[in-house]
Amino acid sequence: MSNVLRPYLAAVRSTLTAALTLQDFSSQVVERHNKPEVEVRHALITSKEVLLNPLTISRNENECVYIEPSINSIRVSIKIKQADEIERILCHKFTRFLMQRAESFIVLRRKPVSGYDISFLITNNHSETMLKHKIVDFIIQFMEEVDKEISEMKLSLNARARIVAESYLSAFDS
Amino acid sequence: MEIAFRKIDIDVYDEDVLLEEELYDADPRDPVQVVSETKAKTSQVRSTLAKGDVAGALNIVLENAPYGPDAEEAKNINLQTLLSILGSTKATEIPAILKALSQDAQDTLMKYLYKGMAMPGWGDVSGSVLLGWHEKLTEIAGTGCIVRVMTDRRAV
Repeated sequence: MSNVLRPYLAAVRSTLTAALTLQDFSSQVVERHNKPEVEVRHALITSKEVLLNPLTISRNENECVYIEPSINSIRVSIKIKQADEIERILCHKFTRFLMQRAESFIVLRRKPVSGYDISFLITNNHSETMLKHKIVDFIIQFMEEVDKEISEMKLSLNARARIVAESYLSAFDS
Repeated sequence: MEIAFRKIDIDVYDEDVLLEEELYDADPRDPVQVVSETKAKTSQVRSTLAKGDVAGALNIVLENAPYGPDAEEAKNINLQTLLSILGSTKATEIPAILKALSQDAQDTLMKYLYKGMAMPGWGDVSGSVLLGWHEKLTEIAGTGCIVRVMTDRRAV
């Protein structure tokens, strides 16, 4: 892990560890409902006392993590670094690919929270069936890998474009 | 068909509805008074910093920090003062300064760190400074400090 990224990931790790203290909690407003409280926030059927203060961890304007804790669920939204137009396209395609297969990732949300590139929703069921530190590790590892993945894809895309251009233009060379 | 009525929040008309301001004790001070107190603290901090006493300056800022919905101006002044202290401290001095703070002061400092990170580009502080302080503070005060920031409704 690069040295500049480390304090950022350390801050995300400690905040996630602090936020992942979840318990089973049924809705206080709707009978027989047991929904993640962070998700019913906008549906006017939530109770304020079960939502905690949302926290933001940022490296700069383009890279930040937004963590919304509540009594039975937390939502983690990540803004991935996008330096130029190619990275923006690659990032969009990559996160879309993952989110279409959200059920295989269990904690992945199908849509990102607006303003962010990808979101995770962790409920009390997940923290009961899986190990808490492993969930945190998963998200940290994802954040580490995604930057690497996108810059790798950008490199291979450029290499491929160069080869295509060369072989196309060689037809006019002779 | 008119369906806008479905969006009306009828729960606010309930007589035992829980309001935002019932979740914490409101600041007893008058907003105007808070602003003047914060401004006084800013000049106090400057003179303390000139003497090289960073821990003392932090204690002054973190004590009686403004909170609540009416104190936006005072909150911004206080954040600006705090960020100027954080930015001018050497990285090697941070652990000793943090250990000297009381638990309440540590919690308030953590709140300000998160607030600073929530608005990048605001003021003249960079994210890496705040992340450095956050790391050291978590080492010293533990994750409990972060939990107290999440649960305390008195947002700074």
